[in-house]
Amino acid sequence: MAANKETLYIKGDRNVEVTNLDVKLGDIVSMECSNKDIIPKVKALKLLKISPQGEHRYVVSVLKIIACIHEQYPGIDVQNMGETDIIITYEEQKTKGKAFHILKTAVVSVLVFVGAAFSIMTFNNDVDVPDVFSQVYRFATGTKSDGFTVLEVSYSIGITLGILTFFNHFGKKRFTVDPTPLEVQMRTYENEIQTALIETASRKGEEFDVGKTDPSGNRRS
Amino acid sequence: MWVKQILLAIVGLSGGVVVSAGLFALIVEIGVISDFADRTHTADHILLYEDCTALGGILGNLIFLFKWPIPFQTVALPLFGLLSGVFVGCWAMGLAEILNVFPIFIRRIKIVRYTTAFVISIAVGRGAGALLYFAQGW
Repeated sequence: MAANKETLYIKGDRNVEVTNLDVKLGDIVSMECSNKDIIPKVKALKLLKISPQGEHRYVVSVLKIIACIHEQYPGIDVQNMGETDIIITYEEQKTKGKAFHILKTAVVSVLVFVGAAFSIMTFNNDVDVPDVFSQVYRFATGTKSDGFTVLEVSYSIGITLGILTFFNHFGKKRFTVDPTPLEVQMRTYENEIQTALIETASRKGEEFDVGKTDPSGNRRS
Repeated sequence: MWVKQILLAIVGLSGGVVVSAGLFALIVEIGVISDFADRTHTADHILLYEDCTALGGILGNLIFLFKWPIPFQTVALPLFGLLSGVFVGCWAMGLAEILNVFPIFIRRIKIVRYTTAFVISIAVGRGAGALLYFAQGW
């Protein structure tokens, strides 16, 4: 063990889902070391054991992970290249069935469809688009609008173009390689949730840090 | 005559593009849809939700402007009412969240416990308010 003067680089994501009750270091962080023999040994080190009932969430400090490595290999120099706090969520592999997932997706699809339709209608109603159109029509042509003119048609085409350009895709066909606004928003939202989880855990002293032997997990219902 | 028509077409087209970009940027930024996707753990279908939002905007506009008849009214109307209510409810709370209404109030009045009571009061209050508004025909 005296010869262990290698540097071990570890990198972990902020949010990890595990399906095994025994959480090993290899499940949480990826590793790199010039001595390839060490990696599988370190990966097999056990970090914590989750009690079997229900779903659990732990916030683990990277210091605890380093301490866990040092316990077995005191000579290793560990460099953390990733996050400093890692959320570990244990999900029971009890899949609620594909049908339920499809049902939820269908409900949300209809919900956002109706919601978007409702929003555009309330907007049109709010600013009185039909009235503005008949005024513009009258101003431009001098004749009274019958409510179905080139303005309404081109406005509808414009709405379609604007929405598709904004969302940057329709169906599987993407117009550019950028992520769509909702994808960006989704990641932002997840990031905020993860930050909140980590900060709540550290404020309540629930974080699994060095000097703690028993992780106080946060049980979700 | 056709010059004026083309001019009007340009006005309508640009108006539509700008309005839809603004409105849908608002919807996305308020985070209603990502909220739904997160709560139901179906974030993998986010592209489908975008399609549905786009379709909803396009068809909703057509129905509003050209007074398209809606088929299956006995089923469609209550469904439309319920779902648009859910959407607007989440929208309003999403807006309150963005404007940091809750953190400010909780900090100012120093409430640390029983925040659930406030959430329930807001929900019930909104529902009662909407009912009163429609019942009175305001």
